[in-house]
Amino acid sequence: MSLKENLRIMIVDDMSVSRALIAQSLDEIGIKHYATENDAKVALGKLAANPVHLVISDMNMPGMTGLQLLRALRSAKTTQRIGFILITGTPSPDIVREGQQLGLNNLIRKPFTSATVKAAIESVVGKL
Amino acid sequence: MSTLNSIRDTFFEECEDLMADLADGLAKMQSGSADPETVNAVFRAVHSVKGGAGAFSLTELVAFSHQFETVLDELRSDRLKLQPELMFTLLRSADHLTVLIEAARDGVDVDAVVTQNSAAALRIWLKPSSDAADAPASASESFSFAAVTLDFGAFDQLNDTPNEPELKHYEIAFQPTATLFSNGHEPALLFGELSRLGTVSSTIDLGELPAWEEFDTTVPFMKWTLKLASTAEIDQVRAVFEFVDGLCKLNIVVAPMPVDQEALQFEASLPPAPAPLPMRQAVAEPIAPVPEKPSPAVKAASVSPQISDQHGPKPTLRVELDRVDRLINAVGELIINQAMIAQRVNEMPVTTDSEVVTYVEDYRLLARDIQEAVMAIRAQPVKPLFQRMSRIVREAADATGKSAQLLAFGEEIEVDKTVIERLADPLTHMIRNAVDHGLESPEDRIKAGKEACGTIRLSAAHRSGRVIISIKDDGAGLNRPKILKIAKDKGLIPQDADLVEADIDSLLFQPGFSTAQKVSNLSGRGVGLDVVRTAVTALGGRVAINSVPGQGTEFTISLPLTLAVMDGMVVSVRGQTMIAPISSIVETIRPALSEVHSVGPSSKYLSILGEFIPIIDVAASLGIAPNTSPSDPPLLLLVESENQSQCALIVDEVHDQRQVVIKGLEHNYRSVQGVSAATVLGNGQIALILDLDAIAFQRSAPEAPAEASPLTKGA
Repeated sequence: MSLKENLRIMIVDDMSVSRALIAQSLDEIGIKHYATENDAKVALGKLAANPVHLVISDMNMPGMTGLQLLRALRSAKTTQRIGFILITGTPSPDIVREGQQLGLNNLIRKPFTSATVKAAIESVVGKL
Repeated sequence: MSTLNSIRDTFFEECEDLMADLADGLAKMQSGSADPETVNAVFRAVHSVKGGAGAFSLTELVAFSHQFETVLDELRSDRLKLQPELMFTLLRSADHLTVLIEAARDGVDVDAVVTQNSAAALRIWLKPSSDAADAPASASESFSFAAVTLDFGAFDQLNDTPNEPELKHYEIAFQPTATLFSNGHEPALLFGELSRLGTVSSTIDLGELPAWEEFDTTVPFMKWTLKLASTAEIDQVRAVFEFVDGLCKLNIVVAPMPVDQEALQFEASLPPAPAPLPMRQAVAEPIAPVPEKPSPAVKAASVSPQISDQHGPKPTLRVELDRVDRLINAVGELIINQAMIAQRVNEMPVTTDSEVVTYVEDYRLLARDIQEAVMAIRAQPVKPLFQRMSRIVREAADATGKSAQLLAFGEEIEVDKTVIERLADPLTHMIRNAVDHGLESPEDRIKAGKEACGTIRLSAAHRSGRVIISIKDDGAGLNRPKILKIAKDKGLIPQDADLVEADIDSLLFQPGFSTAQKVSNLSGRGVGLDVVRTAVTALGGRVAINSVPGQGTEFTISLPLTLAVMDGMVVSVRGQTMIAPISSIVETIRPALSEVHSVGPSSKYLSILGEFIPIIDVAASLGIAPNTSPSDPPLLLLVESENQSQCALIVDEVHDQRQVVIKGLEHNYRSVQGVSAATVLGNGQIALILDLDAIAFQRSAPEAPAEASPLTKGA
């Protein structure tokens, strides 16, 4: 069984369009096990109970930003080792710096394509 | 690619919501009731539009929203202070963003100059040194991020956690008493507190929950078993429950075995048939709770620290309108079918069979329930429509050099979607009119002792089964002498006509009437208030004017809640079965002969409660042969028309009161004076629905040429 078939990913984005686009990319890559979540706080609760391998999260969300989600994941035992890829349209130096401090695994810039998503995931988990 | 297209559709749908959020936030900022989160929300809305637009290569939209977003970002980070001029720019930018989104959706082009001007207006607010205002790409060109590869070995450790000396597994049995709740404690908060110590899973025991009939809301029946994986000492765990000590049964033990942690396994170590991770959800569907895995924790509800603030918009479902319309049509047929069955049963020789009668009654109630539920699907709040109107007010104020603000009330009122859609144009026109003709120039306003900025109040309210929408300005009021003069000059009324105020006001609705002496930018497009009235009447509504000199003018639109059904009184007129809308009927009377007074050769009045109310023969006004042997005294329907005046209509018989499905006449035949639509009765017969207001209006405007009714031929 290949990595592609086992990798479990959670997509966190408040916009259904973005979720759909990421999901579409994952479909094209051939990743089967992914869940989507529209609220970072709910996602955090679910991840605490059922961790995944990798979280792909948007930066700008109401209530909790992507980096806040990352910080929360890193601060709990069960979730601190989850891989985290942040998606943002404006990767400002601040975001990059804070991301690095929190152990962000990778960053995808908007707009993205299936190829860039694949490359970003591969650089975190290895060849798909 | 069809998937991409459907995502694109979703994007534009989502844009509508985002633009509504944006308008909301901007309105708050304008009124000064904004908090930092409002600015954040506004920023996010524009940012999300940009993000989505980028995915679909809508470059113009990306460029403009980037500019907009940059200014909002400055504002959000307090580098820019909110001031009236900036607010002005933001509102105009939001308007333009809406235009761009609509253009992108419909695939039409927007005048590039307008976009450039709007973008330039935004750029003024950015410091020249700020290069963030440049093309969206430049700021991030230099960005690079060194990916951090995951060490999957770490995951395996996570599973069995053998080298975690400090990690303890607590099992907590928790059963609150009624006092716990009455003292204001909340288990969810306690669990949230607990989850700060580590990972919590909870199992709820509802075993003691009594049957519904015996349920006592004042007694708590729930018990929880909580599992906590934490490095904290037992005292720390106890401390969480310190404040509810004695208010609950509590038992904290250190579990001998690690609680089930969802193992993250790879390759061959996967369990034989693990259910996949929570199923993917279809894109446009409401977010359903992700199903739990069939692990031992299957009953466990995950408890997160945010348990108490998991509120958000109610889940919704987007459905194609066609499907709803098909459903509504089918339900309409169902109602007719139900009426037919009910009628047949009534006519059956053995109606003593009470069971059948009960079933038929149940069927009627059920059909009505279904129908109401279906109608509710089509009902939508007027808020988006009202939000569009504030944009119209701004545009109109800009074009006329006036200063105006819109105050909206009753935005939550729900009306049938079609009504809202078809109301957009007349409402736009009336709002423009209110700014253009209603409000005075700022100088005149100051002279009159008013604020320079005019106010237009747009409100929606429910009133006796109808929706009342009112547009009220605080302008100079109608200039009645001028209206009268223009009407005479244009030959709309005779030179010697002497009209009361209400009649002068209604001249505004006459085709070809326009008081603007010079054609302004906005009005004077050859579209008058008569078009507004036609549009509103087509929706089964009425427009009324009320104006006080010096204080302003109010237009009131009264609309039915739905276009599909109505409650009607079944009457017969000269052997024709007709329906009179219940909403206008005050009462039915058979007066004593002494109460009917003849005035002149043809007019009759009913004396009731000290008032004289005109009597109208429905048959005569519809052009049906008048009753040769009038039954004296006549049976009268006392109706109240839209302008609050009453009249009494002569009918031959009143049969029944029932809900009828409205079938438009215009599409199938043509518009008929005095008849608003038709319906199919239980016996399969077609009955006309009377337009009571039109019939009453006909009488009050006798100079109107009597229109030859097709009923004279048809009947």
